[in-house]
Amino acid sequence: MTSLISVQNLSFTYPDGTPALFDINLEIQEKEFIALIGQNGSGKTTFSKCLNGLFKPTTGDIIVEGINTREKGIIKQLVTKVGYVFQNPDHQLFNQNVWSEIAYGPRNIGIPEDEVKERVEEAARVAGVEEDIFETHPYFLNKGLRQRVAIASILALRPHTIIVDEPTTGQDMRQSKEVMNFLRKLNEEENHTIIIITHEMRIVADYAERTIVLGQGRLLMDDDTRTIFSRPEILQKTYVEPPQITQLAQSLSDQGFPNNILTIEELTTEFKNKLG
Amino acid sequence: MSLAIKIQDLEWRYEHRKSFALRGVNLEIEENTFLGIVGANENGKTTLVSAISGLIPHSFNGIYRGSVQIFDQTVWDMDALELASKVGFVFADPESQFTAMTVEEEIVFGLENMGLSNQEIGERIKVAAELTMIEDLLDKSPYDVSGGQKQRVVIAAVLAMNPPIIIMDEPTSMIDPLGKRGIFSILRKLKAAGNHTLIVIEHNIEQLAPLADQMLLMHEGNIEKLTSPEEFFADPKFLEEHGVLTPESTEFVQWLKSEKYVPEETPLPLDLGTAIDISRHVIESRSDAS
Repeated sequence: MTSLISVQNLSFTYPDGTPALFDINLEIQEKEFIALIGQNGSGKTTFSKCLNGLFKPTTGDIIVEGINTREKGIIKQLVTKVGYVFQNPDHQLFNQNVWSEIAYGPRNIGIPEDEVKERVEEAARVAGVEEDIFETHPYFLNKGLRQRVAIASILALRPHTIIVDEPTTGQDMRQSKEVMNFLRKLNEEENHTIIIITHEMRIVADYAERTIVLGQGRLLMDDDTRTIFSRPEILQKTYVEPPQITQLAQSLSDQGFPNNILTIEELTTEFKNKLG
Repeated sequence: MSLAIKIQDLEWRYEHRKSFALRGVNLEIEENTFLGIVGANENGKTTLVSAISGLIPHSFNGIYRGSVQIFDQTVWDMDALELASKVGFVFADPESQFTAMTVEEEIVFGLENMGLSNQEIGERIKVAAELTMIEDLLDKSPYDVSGGQKQRVVIAAVLAMNPPIIIMDEPTSMIDPLGKRGIFSILRKLKAAGNHTLIVIEHNIEQLAPLADQMLLMHEGNIEKLTSPEEFFADPKFLEEHGVLTPESTEFVQWLKSEKYVPEETPLPLDLGTAIDISRHVIESRSDAS
């Protein structure tokens, strides 16, 4: 695996003196699917904004594909490496139609117009944005589609790493599955590293291989998701509970049930093995 | 028991929309029931509760057929003040409901409109603030507190009006896990007090299920299913087809039943604790037998 992002002794304090992140160290590799979890105020969004270079570390360094985010004049390079999709797509969409929305990023970094066209078409195809809405104002699309347009506009910059802030908030089960399966496809078929910020632990259990837990600006845990959910006492520090099925299995650990069950299917299999 | 809500053959189409959002809804809800409403988005959940609160037809244009009654009064004939004294409404986005500079003024606003005495207003604020755990926030700007606290302020303002019916439309969808806990703990207190008919739309099924007396599934503008939560969650596949999850521990015990690990007549548990007890009982009785 190739390291895409290296976070070294990262601390961040807001200009008004409020400290937000303390001495974080981690590596993000190619083709990972990561969940970033923690209570509001734990530093998730601040951390994401450090990764895409919007915020510069107060101390420590972030190296994104060989570039130190502290360097001056590199923001146009960084946006082609780490993309950030806002929780509310409306905070991100501001163009008059879908086509110019997706074209905005590549145009802004000086991509020649014929390549812009190519990129828009490719990003729209991958994100499932049909050509017949290219002329539509994003405002007139439903939330799921607006989110796809927001993701397409990030894809057009061809970043290796895509951070999606609360992709399923306010969505029902079917819409949530749709957006999550789409992110999985970007991860598996298009080789993007995906980082989701979420409060939905069933989503984390179903999709993320690795989970990073922040609490009060500190890195509480960073491990594969199964291991993370087997440590409820640490999760509790940031008011996160493992999925209900994980908790059920954990309460039966004195009966020999594993403490890192993630799905109902895993528990039913375990039950059959033990009880016949 | 008297009926809090009675809906007959209700049809509603929003102005400029091609299809009806509600298509012949009939519903009777007894006083002091806790009704949970679920369903995929765009299937009429919010429209239904808007019709109960009177927002439809009084604040929207459209085509209205049938009738909605709350405590034997027809919503169509009630004015804003009458409605506000009968039905409180909490939206997903608390900020959309703020009008005042401090939390206390936010709560006072509705009470002054009701023409209450200062002493009565003071008492109501005290009770509502205590129940929603915002006593320390009364002097703050409502915009200056956390998301979960904002929603508690909105609920306090609604509670202070003391309406017999309280509707909450996805009250936790925009707040974080700690904030969600606060809202559900208020809902538990309200249910325990038993003085309100509570109608709650919520995607957070694992918190909602143990509280509900009745669960209602909306599908394509109509009521697809209305029953006790035990019966409602007995068919996770059906619910999944309608875009609704089942609490994981409930689904697991349903599996235990289908595999005959537990007797068919065992009531389906709606909370984690009971599901653990049932699972543990199965394991221990098997190991005793062997």
